[in-house]
Amino acid sequence: MSAGSAGEPSPETFAVLSDLIGQFNKTGVALTPTTRFAEDLNFDSLVVMEFVAAVEDRFDISMPLNILPDIATIDDFGRALEKLLAEDGR
Amino acid sequence: MADLFARFAPLMAQRDQLFAEGRDPFSVQMTEVLSQTEAVIGNRRTILVGTNNYLGLTFAPEALAAAHEALDAGGTGTTGSRVANGTYAGHAELEATLRDFYGTKHAMVFSTGFLANLGVLSTLMGPDDFILMDADCHASIYDGVRASSAQIIRFKHNDAADLDKRLARLADKPGNKLIVIEGIYSMLGDIAPIKDFVAVKKKYENVYLLSDEAHSLGVLGKFGRGLPEQEGVEDDVDFIVGTFSKSVGTVGGFCVSNHPQFEILRLVCRAYVFTASLPPAVIAAANVNLGLVKKGGALRARLQRNAQQLHAGLSELGLKIASNASPVVAVVAPDPQVAVAFWRGLLDAGVYVNLALPPATPYGYSLLRASLCAAHTEEQIDEVIGIFRDVATSLGLIDAPRKRVAAR
Repeated sequence: MSAGSAGEPSPETFAVLSDLIGQFNKTGVALTPTTRFAEDLNFDSLVVMEFVAAVEDRFDISMPLNILPDIATIDDFGRALEKLLAEDGR
Repeated sequence: MADLFARFAPLMAQRDQLFAEGRDPFSVQMTEVLSQTEAVIGNRRTILVGTNNYLGLTFAPEALAAAHEALDAGGTGTTGSRVANGTYAGHAELEATLRDFYGTKHAMVFSTGFLANLGVLSTLMGPDDFILMDADCHASIYDGVRASSAQIIRFKHNDAADLDKRLARLADKPGNKLIVIEGIYSMLGDIAPIKDFVAVKKKYENVYLLSDEAHSLGVLGKFGRGLPEQEGVEDDVDFIVGTFSKSVGTVGGFCVSNHPQFEILRLVCRAYVFTASLPPAVIAAANVNLGLVKKGGALRARLQRNAQQLHAGLSELGLKIASNASPVVAVVAPDPQVAVAFWRGLLDAGVYVNLALPPATPYGYSLLRASLCAAHTEEQIDEVIGIFRDVATSLGLIDAPRKRVAAR
């Protein structure tokens, strides 16, 4: 996985996130980089927490809740994740 | 341009749908409070099983007398913060009582339990620090950590292994870590495995533990000091936050600690600096009732018996209860509509419990939440169980009444 940058998250990141979103996606909406968690996927705060925990476990990384207010879309999440991985030297 | 309140439209729609007919559960008026366990609601004498008045101290004669005296001597309010307007002798006495009660070096009184959590959690940890909070923590803890500059990590409810995993990920990060748990969780009445949390805490460096004892103060421990006392881990809990609004029978919050620099919080907790302090009558009542909590072994035994009676009675009816017997007995309804109908049926028949709906509940549960009081009589609890049976039967939630209860 490529280190984080200000640009678009890598396709690999999108693929992993899409995979993890699957178990929480009750809408059946097809996922794109601009799919929004709240408006398009109906993720409420509880589901968001479960999803974050799943991402943390998949990457063995800490994702503080503080980053959540700035995240609307899957790409937003991917950027935040890649930034955290880069800070972690990965 | 959307209306100012447009973003609440989904909630308003849900409210209108759920509460279209009959009484709105969130606007119940008690026209007269008859005792710790009864009030008049809509001209009907109603048994209160949703007060958090665990020890029944709201009418303790000693506290009433002290509050009356303090009211006449000190007036109806302090009209300001202690930092700006000064401390009354009663505030200092109450903090001395708290230090004595918990055996800690420091105690700080806030104006409510919510403000105690908000003040302490927003202030204690800095930008390089981490707060690890149980996922089921109270709204005041969520708001407190949200206002903190620290990094916030949630761990699975009551899951020490999950906390361990999260602390391990942070082990090589500089900065202090604060674990935040509650002794008894308010909605389901479930209890933290605090010994396991302490064991995890001890594996790592620079980790502190804060326990919110709002629902366990007065309820657990020989002397009522809550879960840390009951489990023998008081020395490993760095901060205890609590409230006077449950077992202590009045209103107010506090934090106690042995940390040598604790007192600086009086100058940096904005929820302490910029809020009016508690009025003299409240302070006096809390001071007296803390003494009654300490020697309240008989009340605690009574409370546990009452909790077991209600838990067993409702379980035998075939109702789903969310946790083991504790002073909170939460019945799980299949969905919000049924929960509202259940709640209304109970109230119409003279039983008041709390209605709790998602998202304010864990696991998306729709709950009829009962909390016991030491002052409930065996007969009152039998009556409550009978009314639960009748309402649940009429809603088709349980089969025809079972013999033992029907023979009451």
